Amino acid sequence: MTPTESALVPQAPGGGAPTAGVRPPLPVKMVIAGGFGVGKTTAVGSISEIEPLTTEAAITEVAAGVDDLTHTPAKTTTTVAMDFGCITIDPTLKLYLFGTPGQERFGFMWDDIVEGALGGLVIVDTRRLDDCYAAVDYFEHKRIPFAVAVNAFDGRLEHTLDEVRWALDVAESVPVIAFDARERGSVRDALLVVLELALARTGG
Amino acid sequence: MAEGSPPPGPDPAGPAPAVRPFLVTAGRVAPSASDRTMPVETQVVATAEGLDALGRLSFEQHDIVAACRQPQSIAEIAARLRLHLNVVRVLAEDLRSAGQLTVHVPNTDVVHDASVLRRVIDGLRAIPDSRGVLP
Repeated sequence: MTPTESALVPQAPGGGAPTAGVRPPLPVKMVIAGGFGVGKTTAVGSISEIEPLTTEAAITEVAAGVDDLTHTPAKTTTTVAMDFGCITIDPTLKLYLFGTPGQERFGFMWDDIVEGALGGLVIVDTRRLDDCYAAVDYFEHKRIPFAVAVNAFDGRLEHTLDEVRWALDVAESVPVIAFDARERGSVRDALLVVLELALARTGG
Repeated sequence: MAEGSPPPGPDPAGPAPAVRPFLVTAGRVAPSASDRTMPVETQVVATAEGLDALGRLSFEQHDIVAACRQPQSIAEIAARLRLHLNVVRVLAEDLRSAGQLTVHVPNTDVVHDASVLRRVIDGLRAIPDSRGVLP
């Protein structure tokens, strides 16, 4: 199937039984976050080589109740839908794109999905800017390289990128870009902005 | 945008099973966040033993091994089989212990190495603007 199949001789990790199939690729992932209906699924679908799949992920939610006398946030686990797709970089490397909801309530913890991600893209609809605060806070707190991508519906921006940057109060080092979630080249370029940021952090 | 409405594409497996995840895993849950949980992109592959044992495996175990003739991420398995992620984590660990699957948890240091990042960047740059005809 691939010209390098001979290089994919199954190996037995940890002395386990040999695999029947090919050796799996190294999986890497990026996270696409943002509010409800902002274009996450569209962006994943624009560039994924498979139709986006949906699964359910458990997310720990910290309820910020004002009547909580103990000052201990009540944690509940909720289940949310997560869309994802993938891009085969080469037979040994595969990029997964996970779209995670992030607007619902204060304090989402996405560790289950985001742990180990190369970077994040926060998609913003300028008509509902506050939907993306949780995602911005999360990536900043976790020190995950990310960019803010304003989805230009119908090619128009309601606000300038400078206005968006000011409103979100993100660090100067965080790129704020405009893109179109429906255009493959545009999604590709937005992901590249994040990856270049990640590469710069490695000193490479 | 279509988020919130049913996901795009055909529904691969019909309605969600009416069996509670706890029953599938015999009451067990995936390791807590403090332990190293299997990342969602962890690759799982059936072993020759697993494929030989397919006739003796039942229900979800059978379906997972059968789905892993080609490497799959646990997220893909969960989506295609309509199982909760944590159910797949528990069952994949069982099947690994039984020698029927291999589980390849990505090494965080390798994933974040500059050389890997450069390969992802080069691979993405090679993607054309429009879909066109895929090779």
